[in-house]
Amino acid sequence: MNPAVTKIFSIAKTGSRYVRPTFQLGNQRFLGSPPKDGYIYVNDKEPSMDLNAITDRAAQTIFLTELVRGFGVTLAHIFKEPATINYPFEKGPLSPRFRGEHALRRYPSGEERCIACKLCEAICPAQAITIEAEERADGSRRTTRYDIDMTKCIYCGFCQEACPVDAIVEGPNFEFSTETHEELLYNKEKLLNNGDKWESEIAANIHADHLYR
Amino acid sequence: MKILSFLAMMILLISSLLILILNICSKKNFIDREKSSPFECGFDPKSAARLPFSLHFFLIAIIFLIFDVEITLLLPMIPSMTISNIFSYTYIIAFFLLILLIGLYHEWNQGALDWTSS
Amino acid sequence: MYFKDLYMMFLSSLLLMICVLVGVAFLTLLERKVLGYIQIRKGPNKVGLIGLIQPFSDAIKLFTKEQNYPLMSNFNLYYFSPVLNFFLSLFLWMCMPFITVNLNFNLSVLFFLSVSSLGVYTIMLAGWSSNSNYALLGSLRSVAQTISYEVSMALILLSFLILILSVNLLDFIKYQENVWFLFFMLPLVFMWVVTSLAETNRTPFDFAEGESELVSGFNVEYSSGSFAMIFLAEYSSILFMSMICCLLFLGSNLFSLFFFLKLVFVSFFWIWVRGTLPRFRYDKLMYLAWKIYLPVSLNCLYFFFSIKLFIFIFFL
Repeated sequence: MNPAVTKIFSIAKTGSRYVRPTFQLGNQRFLGSPPKDGYIYVNDKEPSMDLNAITDRAAQTIFLTELVRGFGVTLAHIFKEPATINYPFEKGPLSPRFRGEHALRRYPSGEERCIACKLCEAICPAQAITIEAEERADGSRRTTRYDIDMTKCIYCGFCQEACPVDAIVEGPNFEFSTETHEELLYNKEKLLNNGDKWESEIAANIHADHLYR
Repeated sequence: MKILSFLAMMILLISSLLILILNICSKKNFIDREKSSPFECGFDPKSAARLPFSLHFFLIAIIFLIFDVEITLLLPMIPSMTISNIFSYTYIIAFFLLILLIGLYHEWNQGALDWTSS
Repeated sequence: MYFKDLYMMFLSSLLLMICVLVGVAFLTLLERKVLGYIQIRKGPNKVGLIGLIQPFSDAIKLFTKEQNYPLMSNFNLYYFSPVLNFFLSLFLWMCMPFITVNLNFNLSVLFFLSVSSLGVYTIMLAGWSSNSNYALLGSLRSVAQTISYEVSMALILLSFLILILSVNLLDFIKYQENVWFLFFMLPLVFMWVVTSLAETNRTPFDFAEGESELVSGFNVEYSSGSFAMIFLAEYSSILFMSMICCLLFLGSNLFSLFFFLKLVFVSFFWIWVRGTLPRFRYDKLMYLAWKIYLPVSLNCLYFFFSIKLFIFIFFL
């Protein structure tokens, strides 16, 4: 920030005159409770009535210092860098734990991870997940149907925590709005597609977070 | 005056034409009972809108009327300064403004200017 | 010859109005931009080149919206009061002083006072005829506020007028050649600014549309074109008030480019005030008008009358 703006801001902070005692007794802050004489009187103090103080206050009123200071603050804000980002083109940072659109992952061999244990279906508090399972031709247990009603889902992330094989995950994608309700009733194909599409990001997120799981 | 009224007619014509064009432009039309009922946070209005009336506003309007009349009397004083007898002019102005001021203070004293009745 | 003059005048006033409307459009853009930057965000910056066409797209959006027909309203009044409001605020611009081509009348201050006080009726009608609790309350408050401040506005204006001894806005130019009225009537100038803020229903005094109390004030029931009319009227009155401010105490040389820069600055100030100050309290607003501004402006009037008489008797 340039010095002129800083100056205006520092003038605007009237409270900065009253330094809290905890700052003065810096090393005592870590010793537990504050010292007995460290109380802060928070009510309004009775204004001083000697001539000097009265003249000071009158001058403040006459020269509209409060108004001028307020205008100074807003004027300074005009020249500050906007805090916004240019959304569709710039996006804010996402945590690796961000819980966005669901995806079903595959093993690197291309085999789907889900073993149809139905733990996610059981734990889902919104009962958004529906799973039907059957034995496949090679004898492994797989899902024939894996539906998530995204309009029911509350994005709590329990499904990905329940999953023993990291199959169902909530990916980093949060831009999946649609125009109809039906498009938000995801089936297995859609979820697997999501998984293929977002695999690199999901894998990176899981890797970044693996120490805490 | 004639020119001014001509101009007024012109502007009035333009603004009414504008609103006509606006209404032709706004093709969307979906009349619904709830939509065309008076605005009231989702329920039918409980009281008639025009019945309850705060008398304060009326009193303010009356005081305004008095002062506005006095302003209309004051306004001609400005162009007439150069063309009138300066002594009588001074007296008139002084007394008139004095009466206005005293009237204002009297109203203040009687509590006509109090917005909240304490 | 006469008809050619008339024709010329019609054309030029038409041009003036179009320019005012375009100015209003860009004033809304300026307002949104400045408010945005005051709140550390950007405001409209997508439509066209860095958001320059935003007001026009807004206008198109507003005009194609649905016009609604409130059941309980007195429809003709409801329909025509925004038109009248818009008409009055454009008609107000006719008293902008010109030396040639357009109008320059001797009693332009009186014209300004009378037309701007007519604006109260349209607000009252708009609120009353839409027959909704909120609209009526909003219009009552707005009317009470406007008429209260009108008294002190006229009295402050009188103090200015007695100095120049004329009711022609053009004469302000002559009397401010050497020094602006801003410098030796500073308290009055402050009062004038506050009063004109209150007259145009701008933010510290925007009780006509106190969103937290009255949804949107007297224009709750309005939509699309009618709302656009009210909106245009409000903003053109803001522009007009900024012009009057420039004329009254900011040098007021209407024939220099600098005048218009000052006008832009004053209208920026209006927005700046909106970005800075929170809304006032209604009873305090009334006290400010009746118990502070009215006595002070009357006393000031007394003072300036006596100064003028003194100068008039002993120096002229």
